[in-house]
This record gives sequence, C-alpha cells and structure tokens, in this order.
Amino acid sequence: MHMSTDGRKAAGWDTIHRSYRARMERAGRLASGKVVAADDAVSLLESVLEPGDRLCIEGNNQKHADFLAASLARVSSDRVHGLHIVQSNLALPAHLDVFERGIADRLDFCYSGPQGLRLARLVAEGRVRVGAIHTYLELYSRYFSDLTPRVSFIAADAADAAGNLYTGENTEDTPAIVEATAFKSGILIAQVNRIVDELPRVDVPGDWVSFVVEAPKPYYIEPIFTRDPAAITDVQILMAMMVIRGLYQKYGVTRLNHGIGFDTAAIELILPTYAADLGLQGEICRYMSVNPCPTLIPAIESGFVEGIHCAGSELGMERYVAERSDVFFIGRDGTMRSNRIFCQLAGHYADLFIGSTLQVDLEGNSSTATLNRITGFGGAPNFGSESRGRRHGSKSWLQAGEEANRGRRMPRGRKLVVQIVETFREGLEPTFVERLDAWDLQQSFDLPLPPVMAYGDDITHIVTEEGIANLLLCDDLLEREQAIRGVAGYTPVGLGRDRAVVERLRKKGAVAYPDDLGVDKRLANRDLLAARSIKDLVHWSGGLYRPPARFRNW
Amino acid sequence: MRPVRRSYDEATARGRIDGLLDAGTFREFCGPTARRSSPHLPALGLPVSFDDGVVVGEGRLDGRPVLIGSQEGGFMGGSVGEVHGAKLTGLLERGLDVEPAAVVLLLDSGGVRLQEANAGLIAMGEIQRAVFRVRAAGVPVIAAIGGRNGCYGGMSIVARSCDWIVVSEQGRLSISGPEVIEAVEGIEEFDAQDRALVWRTMGGKHRRLLGEVDALVENSIEAFRMAVIGWLEQPRPLDLAAVEAEHARLEARLRRFAECRDGLDVWRDLGVERPEEIPELDADAFNAVVASMEERDR
Repeated sequence: MHMSTDGRKAAGWDTIHRSYRARMERAGRLASGKVVAADDAVSLLESVLEPGDRLCIEGNNQKHADFLAASLARVSSDRVHGLHIVQSNLALPAHLDVFERGIADRLDFCYSGPQGLRLARLVAEGRVRVGAIHTYLELYSRYFSDLTPRVSFIAADAADAAGNLYTGENTEDTPAIVEATAFKSGILIAQVNRIVDELPRVDVPGDWVSFVVEAPKPYYIEPIFTRDPAAITDVQILMAMMVIRGLYQKYGVTRLNHGIGFDTAAIELILPTYAADLGLQGEICRYMSVNPCPTLIPAIESGFVEGIHCAGSELGMERYVAERSDVFFIGRDGTMRSNRIFCQLAGHYADLFIGSTLQVDLEGNSSTATLNRITGFGGAPNFGSESRGRRHGSKSWLQAGEEANRGRRMPRGRKLVVQIVETFREGLEPTFVERLDAWDLQQSFDLPLPPVMAYGDDITHIVTEEGIANLLLCDDLLEREQAIRGVAGYTPVGLGRDRAVVERLRKKGAVAYPDDLGVDKRLANRDLLAARSIKDLVHWSGGLYRPPARFRNW
Repeated sequence: MRPVRRSYDEATARGRIDGLLDAGTFREFCGPTARRSSPHLPALGLPVSFDDGVVVGEGRLDGRPVLIGSQEGGFMGGSVGEVHGAKLTGLLERGLDVEPAAVVLLLDSGGVRLQEANAGLIAMGEIQRAVFRVRAAGVPVIAAIGGRNGCYGGMSIVARSCDWIVVSEQGRLSISGPEVIEAVEGIEEFDAQDRALVWRTMGGKHRRLLGEVDALVENSIEAFRMAVIGWLEQPRPLDLAAVEAEHARLEARLRRFAECRDGLDVWRDLGVERPEEIPELDADAFNAVVASMEERDR
C-alpha cells in the first residue's frame, strides 16, 4: 500500500503496530495466557486474519504446520478472503483447499512437489495468481523486503506456558519466519506437539510468539533424505568412482554440498572403500552442508567426513546425530539444531555442489520441470550456482579458476557446480535434449522465464556413466555443445556428436572417459559399497540409527 | 566396522563359486557354451538361459577336491526345471564316482519351476535321492543358503536332507513362501508384506536358533568359504537311529512351540534373554548369544 506523505502523517507511523494490537485484542478472549485450545483454532484464525493479509504457513520438504493449515481451510470465507500466501512449500492438500474456497487468491512460493499438478489446474482456472516461483533463500529474503508476512503459522516440537518454543532437530526454516514476522508487528501462531513445564532448550523466545496451540497430532514429517543402499546400481557406482577421481581428488575438494538422491548416496558409500584405498581420507570431503542422510554414516564413522551442518533433520537419525557432537551442530540440551538459511549459505560458498536433474540441454542448462506440472525450485539453485561474491581462496576454488581463465589478467577462483545424471532416465527418456520442457512450461503457465534449475554458465562439470564433460575447458558454446554430446552416450544428442571435435576435446581434458580418469570399470559393482542395506547402516551406527518402519525388514 | 568387500547375498552364481573355491581351480560341466537350455520354456514364449540357471562343476577348496553346484537366483528365481534338476542330480551322482571331500550346493531358489512343474517335481525327487546316495557313500553334502530368493519348496527339503547347512542372515529357509501361506491361510495367519515377520519366522537367525541350520555367518563369500571348509570330509551319520532321533526331535518341537504365533515367541520359549533384540544383532553378536545358550543347555 502506498501512502502520500500527508496520508502518512494523518494515519501515524505505527499503523501496522496498531493493527497488531487490535488483532491481539480480538483474539485475546480465546487464549488463556498465550495458549489457545485446538478446538478454538478456527476461531483464532478468523479473529487475527483480515482480508488481503500476507500469510506464511510454515512448511518445507520435511515439517509442516499441518494442523493450522487444515484449520485455515475451515475458516469462513466471508470473514477471511483474498489472502496472499507467501510460503516456501506447498505439500498438503489443505494448502490448495484455501485457494479452492476463495480464502486466498495470491501465491508466492518455492516448491510444490506432489501438489504440482493440482496447482497447475488452479492456476489455469484463475483461482491462484502466482507472483513468482522462488528459491528458498530468495523468498526468505523477500520476507525482509516487500513480502513480510502479517501473520505466520509455525510448527514447533514443544512450548511452555510463556510461549517459549523448542524446535529441536527440525528447526529448519522457523528462525527466518519468526524474525520477519515478530519484528514487523506480525502475529506469530505456533502449533506445537506438546506443552510442557520446562523446555529442553529455547529456540524461539516466548515474547516473540503471539499464540500457542497444542495440535491433536504431532506435526507431519517426512523421511525424504533416506536412500536405501539396496537400490543403488552398478552404474551409479561407476559414476561415483569418476566423481571421486575426476573431481574430488583432482581439485582436492574439502567443503561441499550433496543433493538428494541415489547418485550422491553412492558417492557417500564408496568414500570408506574406494576413496580410502586411494589414500584420500583427510584430503577430500571433510565438511558438508547436507541433512543427516543415513548413507553418510559409514563415511562419518570411518573418519572421512569431519563436520556437517544441516538444513533440517532426518527421521531416525536423532540419536546418532546427538551422539556425534564433534561432527554435527548440537544444542546444550544434546539435540541437533538445524537452520536452512545458514546451511544454504554455507553450501553456496562451498567448493563444490553436486546433484542430479531430469533434463540437460546443449548449453548445459538443467531443469527438473516436466510438462503440466509446477514443482518449483527449493534450494538447489542456490547450492548449484557460482558464488560470485566469494573472495577467499582454497585449493579447489583456485584450481578451477585457473581452468576457467580465458586470458584475463585478474586471477579469480571458481566454484565447482556439477550435475550427475545417467544418459537415460526412468522410462528410457533421454536426459540430454535439444530443447528443455521448461520452455513449454513457461508458455503454459505464463512465467517470465523458463524454470531452469541450474544455468549452463553456472555448471562446470556434467558426469554421466560415459564420462565427465569439463565445461571450464571449453572455449566457446560450440565446444561446450560437443563436450556435452561427448558424454551423452546413445541418446539422440549423444549420437549427434562430431567425433573429431570430441576427440580433440578429450585431448585437452574437456571430455574424460573412465580410462582417462584412472577408473577401472571392472571394479564398478555393489561390492564397493560400505553398506548395502539399511541394516548395514544401523550396524555402522552402533545401533544409534533407528530407521522408520517402512525401511525395516527386520 | 569394516566394510565387507565381497557380498555373498548379492553375488551371481558364478561369482559365488569364484569366491568360494581356491582361485583358478573351477572347471564347469555342461557350461553355457553347451547350450543345454530348457526344452519347455520356448513353447511358452519365455526366454531361456544357456545354463538353465545353475552352474555345476568341480574344483578345489582349501586344496581338497570338491564338486559344487550354484543356483542363479537372477534367472526365474533360481527355480528348478528339467535341465536344471538333471544337472544337480548328475553332479551329485558324480560324487559316487570320484568321492570328493564334499559336494557343495549353493542354493538360491523358490523351488520347482512352475512352467515345467511335472519335470521339476520329478527332478526334486531325483536330487533328494542322489543326496542320500552320496551321503550313504560317506561323502558329506553341504548346503549354503543366501541371496534374494532364499530356499523354498522342494529345494528346502533337499537342503534339510544335507549333512550341513550354512546360512546368512538374509537367507531364508521354509517349505511354503510367505505369499503362499497368506494366499492359502489368510492375512490374519500370515502377512506376507510384513517383511520383519517373514525374517522372524523363516530367516537365517530363526533357523539357527531352532537348530535347523548349523552355522550363521556374515554376508561375505569369505565367511561362507570358511564355514564350508570346516565341514570337508566330515559326514554326519545317516542310519536308522539318526533318522528316528530326528523324527523324535521334530515331534517334540511341534508340541513345545504349538502355541507360538511368531518367531519372537519361540525365541522367548527357548530362553533367549532379550528376544526383541535378536533381529538387530550382527553375525558375531548373534553367534555369541547362540554359544551362550548352547553352553547353558550342555
């Protein structure tokens, strides 16, 4: 809302704060102290929300303020309507019910995952106006600029009567939401699993919190970082071997981020075997910005990975993490504290990012967007991009910078941004394409840009089962295209390579096949895995890892 | 913890033989180049395997001559068809001629191949009769059970006809498979989707605690090799007294555990101190429990 100077003077300089007080007064009758009964949750929301409010419902790829989200879907749309939802993750049906019922009509978000198809339909029907699809860091940054929430729903493990909150292992995005809301006269409502007399530790001070609701059920949480080693294939192990020799060893990568997936899980599981045999312990992979993925346990136990900061937690890893305070960030109470923003910053300024994707084009642009589905970005673009604000040197950063130098006199480093993909993905769809589906998606959803996960000029290497394309060593877009074709195997893009050019690129290292990297393909089988099953991971952890039931067969 | 470098459970039939025998000593009979494949599968439009899913041959183990057969679980679940069965029978009968230090059977099978059921059933009977003839000649027959398919149906009967059985935790031994029991008796009787229940009632640890297998080893080819070496030239008695004693043992067992609904109940009844922890234990810790129980019962 834009006000003229005269209007400002007439209205005063504290209109938001006075609105806050009015809302608190309306809702006060429902609360005993700060505590509101779960049965009164809908009334509470009707009292504090006003039409047109910007609202954040905490939700990320793991924890969700699901009870408050469901309560919002039940408010009277006569009283509450036209809300502008500013939240990172749309994952629950209730998140979209509020648009279907007209309670909200605008949306700024990061990721929609399983709700992608339904969201696309609501956009087409004109029930949702999408402001923009962000990365996590961008959306949270806008909370401190032009998208500050007037009301936020957050999820916490426990609260005391004074409203102090314990968010524990799954602190995740809470600090960012709390900071933006509480200090801009916003209403902060916390859904908690239980109200206790004494908290293990205070993650959010009570005087920042407006109301606390004890939810009938603990907040929903998903074990999304668990990869069963039993499903890792020999091909993924071959790619992992190439990554260790051709990237981690070559550049001496010590600080890095791994994306989620079986490709990176394979790398983690051959650190204690293949990489140890190469004498790389203490030389590579020492500090990571990742969630506590169970497949990291063998690398931690064998002394490979020394320090890990987590964006969130992972179900079943709580006790193991708590018993490894030299490695993880642990509160005085003995449980982990996660923080998505700090983890993403650490990953952004690390030496290397590696992750998977669904499509790669001839410039190296990659996208996980497929037709008819709005999924969004999450955090990968911030991990998977060059950090142009970086100024400190490291062996890896400087060596990659040398390779990137095209005759400029000022030396500069380069972050390694790596995409690891098989040439064909599920259903024998080629991963390498002339044209990304993202272009069609841009048209059908009227987006300002095609939704690209990692831009080609940010990517330095592409790893496939065929070999590694080193884009830093390509002099122009033509060489880049041929380097990509050179590792694209039997896809139409790969078959379209110019053999002479690829051979020339191979001579200068822009294309490297396993033999060039000293990788013995015959060793690429599951016998290299330090753990072949979830149960092996439990044994590595000394029984401290407690996998969720769906991953247990004992 | 040290990573196990060569998994037994995940190895192929040939990989298991390669790792088990002394290096370079294996000589295969009726190998894939002989193309003795199933005569029945093409009629059903199904692909064949040039070795019909079983590798048989001779070699040396710890310097001593052995005959060895190894089922390939990756071909039709290690199932026994006419050719597959004939190869195993022939291997065992060769044992009568050459009297090796042992005949070793690496089993990974769901039982009879349903597509050639009659021939497969006859083959089972022939294999079992051959096992007993070899044993009667004083040559021990040793079964090893690991891998994805376990040891079910007719092959489980063959296994229990052998002198010795070594199993990995992942190995399973039972006549009827989980799905068969659920289909016949209902999900209340047995939930085949409950994988933990399957292993508590058919898995290697349960069979070891019941005394139906003689050793449980970690999932490594080396561990299987050491167990088998320990039984070379060590036949068990096969006479009327031994068979009657076994029948009496089975009758007593049936009475003792008649009310048990789960492996956990059996283990508790056997006097295992913390039965709920059994599935968590690695092979060493589990074998320590077994040893302390045997010590107590002595």
